[in-house]
Amino acid sequence: MTDIAITQLPAAPLNVLEIWSNPLAVLDRFEKAFGPSLPPLGSSLQLPGRLLIRYEPAVWLVEGETIGLAEILGSDGSLTAIGGGLVRVRLSGAGWRSLLMEGGVFDAESKAFAPGCSAATVIDHVNVRLLVESDDACLAYVPLSYARGMIHFWTIAAKSLD
Amino acid sequence: MSGPQRAGEPGTIRFTFDGKPLLARRGDTLAAALLANGIGLVARSFKYHRPRGIMAAGVEEPNALVTVGTGGRSEPNTRATDLFVYEGMVARSQNRWPNLSFDVGSILGLAAKALPAGFYYKTFFGSAKRWMFYEWFIRRAAGLGDAPNAADPDRFAQRAGFCDVLVVGAGPAGLAAALAAAEAGERVTLVEQDRVLAPSLVRDPQELDPAWAEATAAQISALGGQILLRTTAAGYWDDNLITLSQRLAEPGQQPPNGAAQRLWHVRAKRVVLATGALERPLAFAHNDRPGVMLSQAVRTYVRRFGVVPGQRVIIATNNDDAYLTAAAMRDAGAEVVAVLDTRPAPAGATSGFTVHNEAMPLATTGARHHLREVSARVGGKIVRWQADLLAMSGGFTPVVHLHMQAGGAALDWDDASQSFLPGAARQNVTSIGAAAAADPIGPTPPPENSGKAFIDFQNDVSLGDVDLAWAEGYRSVEHLKRYTTLAMATDQGKTSNMAALGRLAEKQGVAIPDAGLTTFRPPYTPVTMGLLAGRSERDAGAHLRRLALYDVHQAKAPTWQPLGYWKRPRAYPAGTETLAQAALREARSVRTAVGMTDVSTLAKFEVSGPDAAALLELICATTVAKLAVGRGRYTFMLREDGLVFDDGTVWRLGEDRYLLTSSTGGADRMATHISYVRQFLYPQLKVSAVNVQEHYAGIAVAGPHAKTVLAALIGEEVPRHMSTVPAAIGGVPVLVLAASYSGERAFEIYVEASKAEPVWSACEAEVTAHGGCLYGMEAMEFLRIEKGHLVVGGEIDGRLTPHDLALGGMLNKAGGYVGAEGLTRPALTQTGRKQLVGLEALDGTIPEGSMLITAPGQPAQGHVTAAGLRVLDGGSIALGQLNDGFARHGELLIASSPTRGLIARVRVVAPHFYDTGGERYRD
Repeated sequence: MTDIAITQLPAAPLNVLEIWSNPLAVLDRFEKAFGPSLPPLGSSLQLPGRLLIRYEPAVWLVEGETIGLAEILGSDGSLTAIGGGLVRVRLSGAGWRSLLMEGGVFDAESKAFAPGCSAATVIDHVNVRLLVESDDACLAYVPLSYARGMIHFWTIAAKSLD
Repeated sequence: MSGPQRAGEPGTIRFTFDGKPLLARRGDTLAAALLANGIGLVARSFKYHRPRGIMAAGVEEPNALVTVGTGGRSEPNTRATDLFVYEGMVARSQNRWPNLSFDVGSILGLAAKALPAGFYYKTFFGSAKRWMFYEWFIRRAAGLGDAPNAADPDRFAQRAGFCDVLVVGAGPAGLAAALAAAEAGERVTLVEQDRVLAPSLVRDPQELDPAWAEATAAQISALGGQILLRTTAAGYWDDNLITLSQRLAEPGQQPPNGAAQRLWHVRAKRVVLATGALERPLAFAHNDRPGVMLSQAVRTYVRRFGVVPGQRVIIATNNDDAYLTAAAMRDAGAEVVAVLDTRPAPAGATSGFTVHNEAMPLATTGARHHLREVSARVGGKIVRWQADLLAMSGGFTPVVHLHMQAGGAALDWDDASQSFLPGAARQNVTSIGAAAAADPIGPTPPPENSGKAFIDFQNDVSLGDVDLAWAEGYRSVEHLKRYTTLAMATDQGKTSNMAALGRLAEKQGVAIPDAGLTTFRPPYTPVTMGLLAGRSERDAGAHLRRLALYDVHQAKAPTWQPLGYWKRPRAYPAGTETLAQAALREARSVRTAVGMTDVSTLAKFEVSGPDAAALLELICATTVAKLAVGRGRYTFMLREDGLVFDDGTVWRLGEDRYLLTSSTGGADRMATHISYVRQFLYPQLKVSAVNVQEHYAGIAVAGPHAKTVLAALIGEEVPRHMSTVPAAIGGVPVLVLAASYSGERAFEIYVEASKAEPVWSACEAEVTAHGGCLYGMEAMEFLRIEKGHLVVGGEIDGRLTPHDLALGGMLNKAGGYVGAEGLTRPALTQTGRKQLVGLEALDGTIPEGSMLITAPGQPAQGHVTAAGLRVLDGGSIALGQLNDGFARHGELLIASSPTRGLIARVRVVAPHFYDTGGERYRD
């Protein structure tokens, strides 16, 4: 039996952080406040109490705390809450990479898709954002309206991997 | 004893063929199992119902098509040679009545001369009535298996695959190539359509020890390579995309894990085609009888399955390979009666066989399951032998299908092997092994009787048919193919193409490569439709979009209504209420007391930044910047051509923060439009536009008591119409928008979707306490029609301007919005345009969607976009689009739906039937 667990996580604060001007200045302010820089495309940054995932050229998803971010953005960007519309689903176990290939178009089996990496892709016609938590777990951000269907899809698909 | 048989244990796997219980050994194909049980007659041919047996041992089999499985799992036209027997398998022959042995349809064979190539097209001549007469017979006489009547109960999985090297074919060449790539550190996927590796080594163990294949595969796996058995590379597309069809269960078999097959979309940096070669049959009279087989197939049955297809065998060949078959048959105890070699002298070893050179079969006679006699021309003489099996080899055709699909249109002609070889490749693909080269062959003399010398066995096309097509003027290979239906059956002419091309070239007096070549197209082998459709035929592969409050609604057992991918409550019938009764009750509750409904699916965008108003004044055709904080307004959006494509509301939540709502059905389109304007037209704007459609659940509370209800819920003064305030309900933060779609004083309460349930419960309790109820989309439709509010997809159908919809007065006078230029086109202000009107029924019920005409037989002047009724007073009303409608108020028309037989007389009126002054919105 393929080792996969599919777990819906509790709702979490999720915000879109978008920069529309002076990106270098924003990055500078961010580094001064937090140390590391904002993560590049396809990767993430875990800070105490918050996780930042870049998933568009000028857009980051912020999970958790947003204190201080508005000040860093100033008039160069904004924060918008979107957490009500996304469900976090953890796929864990050795088979999560194979499972993500089902109905997918993204190479989740690539070794380059390592812990800390993120991706925005389509799985079974649904837009899903992925974050590799570890070698044995990946977090999927699924639109609320599709979440139940996707969990059902993954549950069924996991059986056919055997 | 004659005919096919197997020595030793019959096997332990039980299956049936045409209801007869039989036994098979593990690993048997159905073809092998039938031969092992002495069954040579397996099928009836498509057109003439000729008795057919098993010719091949692989996917090229043209004759032995069966239906396997029962109910929804039944799969017709399955090749018995590509179907592995499983316990309880039910297989049936096809295209015969009443049974395979005695098939009434075989009488068509006697009329074969009247039914040559192209006869079908000739039935089109004359009157249509004659064709109808012919069709009745043709459809019943010809055919393959029946499609199942029941739904397929199984899933069909689809998945992506990525690799550096995809090797197609796990024969010796493919295995070696895959191992080399894996050892070079490349990511390798190796696919094999058989269920065993390197089946050719089992057939010809003298080349390599079959154990080598297992050892090589183990090495590939150890290096991280992926090996997929029962997997066929069916299609080769652009950018080295290859589609694989993987069988997870045999046809008709209940899959162990739910999925019957998996479709792979594989992106490979490099593709290696080790697809082997197909043996060609020889053309001679009655070469299609049970007992006439391809030479390598005979060897395969003997060596791999332990089945001896005949006891007295004639070998007919133009190459050396068939001598291996002679040896295999001799080793299996069969008598090799003679070897007929077309060549003056064979090139290889012929030890121990009676070989006749310059010899070619002429014809066969047969019994039910095997041959009786083979006649041949040997030198100048005709010789006859008693034989139950004829193993033939007309040379080999490299499998270049995938190469050609990949865009390698240019195939190289190899004269020695009389075959096409892969030419220059247009993608990163190489062919190796038998797919890239074929051994030389000798001459292949044409048959003396071409009428029964079949070349396309599956479509019953003989060389005589090719001759006839030529005689009737078909010169191009493409025309010839279509006229004769050659190579158009499910086997795509795998065994027939070269013979047909050879005959055509002979007629044209040119070499084969100059005669032309038809195109190989995907799929290489037939693919189940369900595999292409996706995971389940019941939902067409698309997920249902569920409301955040789906379970809350479901508990009230509403009538659901699909809306795009969403499902929304259409009505909440109580007791024995019909949908119409429930909807009217709900609508009346809104008009007289209060109602609440779920409006979560509305599109919602949060727009923030110093240029937020600027962006919105591009997207919306109304003014936005002048809105005070806490105020909102109705708005609508234009395409660049000036036509209205959506509408909604815009709210100023803060100094630089707005909320834009628009229609549910147009949500994705609006998101694209905003992105286009923001990212492409005006990337310099300092603004963020975030889709928050799913972030907020929405609850609308409407009716004369709505204000009281809301005040009780939020514990503070409610906002006036088109105002917004943040508030809390039961401690949950909400955003209250005072907006109305119903025509009553109403509020939309937006709450973070994950926290919506307690807010909904609190609202429902308060609404119920004030004598109200839930209402669904049907009631909402009644209410908005009566009020004259527009709906996207109905009145807003992408063809009307703001002026046509009586919205011209709301346009931003300063212009600058997307569509402003398009709106100045003269055609958009000419007379005769469709304009929004209201319609009152003078009698009966106005049919929705009906056309508006002045008198029966006159052309349509418009149509009914939405029909409803006066909620409190009764009477049928509607909204519609009518040519020059604004100037036609008071005119009498007919709303007619001829296809439904519905008609009503209507009066054209203003599109507002309720509270035309908007007094009920105001406090």
